[in-house]
Amino acid sequence: MALNLIINSSNPPLGALLAAELVKDSVTVSVEDGKDNKLHVSESVQFSDVNSIARYLARVAPALGLYGSNMLEQTEVDHWLEFSAQRVSGQSGLAVSLGELDKALALRTFLVGHSLTLADLCVWAALKGSSQWQSIQKQAGVFSHVDRWFSFLGSQVPFNTVGNKYASSKAPPL
Amino acid sequence: MALKELSSLEKALGLKKPNKYSTQGDKKVPVLQRSNGPALSGLVTIATYLVREANRAELLGESAEHRAIVQQWLEYRVTKVDGCQKEDIKTILKDLNTYLEDKVYLAGNQFTLADTLMYYGIHHIIVDLAVQEKEKYVNVTRWFDHVQHYPGIRNHLPPVVVLKNRVYTGSHH
Repeated sequence: MALNLIINSSNPPLGALLAAELVKDSVTVSVEDGKDNKLHVSESVQFSDVNSIARYLARVAPALGLYGSNMLEQTEVDHWLEFSAQRVSGQSGLAVSLGELDKALALRTFLVGHSLTLADLCVWAALKGSSQWQSIQKQAGVFSHVDRWFSFLGSQVPFNTVGNKYASSKAPPL
Repeated sequence: MALKELSSLEKALGLKKPNKYSTQGDKKVPVLQRSNGPALSGLVTIATYLVREANRAELLGESAEHRAIVQQWLEYRVTKVDGCQKEDIKTILKDLNTYLEDKVYLAGNQFTLADTLMYYGIHHIIVDLAVQEKEKYVNVTRWFDHVQHYPGIRNHLPPVVVLKNRVYTGSHH
């Protein structure tokens, strides 16, 4: 099965790109530049929402455990996907969301379970693309747990490669 | 104690053939008698040898700086943590807690031998902590829970229960 991911190159969907990078050994995914984000599964099945794309990719490679390892973890992953779309990328106050995220990360290395899941990918991607977060990050120590988690993931493959390759085109004006 | 730790380390490293160890002196320093070379003694020395034997040199640190940090924590483990008295425990936990605030692993973003041996060495302290103390040293607790779930590491040690959310919300950090 070959999948084709078309991305909006002026505003790349980092979460979907990270998921695609992680599953590439289990399933063939080609990435192409285009105007809108779209995962082409077959002639009749296509996904255009970033979270839907990430979910599909995680489910197609179950061995990687990107969707958690049991029902509780799956539900937690769903919670964070929603959180990334509504509370980080949305217009609501980022500081409140960051406060919640910081609390959740106090005793966790990864957001869900003990390994990487979609929750980490999508929340990290949403923060990476947020210019508000970049300015908050400069005042170090306010959200220390988010800081640690964000830079830990950023140092790992494939976050560093995807981040460097795609995030620069989206950098806010200085 | 050190002998169990070394055989757990062998398993964690995926070494197929277990070595036979003996101990030396009152402090029960572990000794590895090799068939084709001199005997090796001391926990950190033998552990480092096993890592190289398993071709996992990245566990000793990848850059010069990381290698130095790994050695620093290995030494901390045998000088400060081993044989520590009750009154030293608070100092150890406080030091580690401050140090780990912005780190996932002892050497930063990379899992190393220092994490494994510190986990083995500090286990008896963490196992006795009350829920409230585990929250007080929140960064140590998070690191400890992460390492005990790291694939293949736990072996001979019982798991320690860690709450995922704070109960005592009054004190921050």
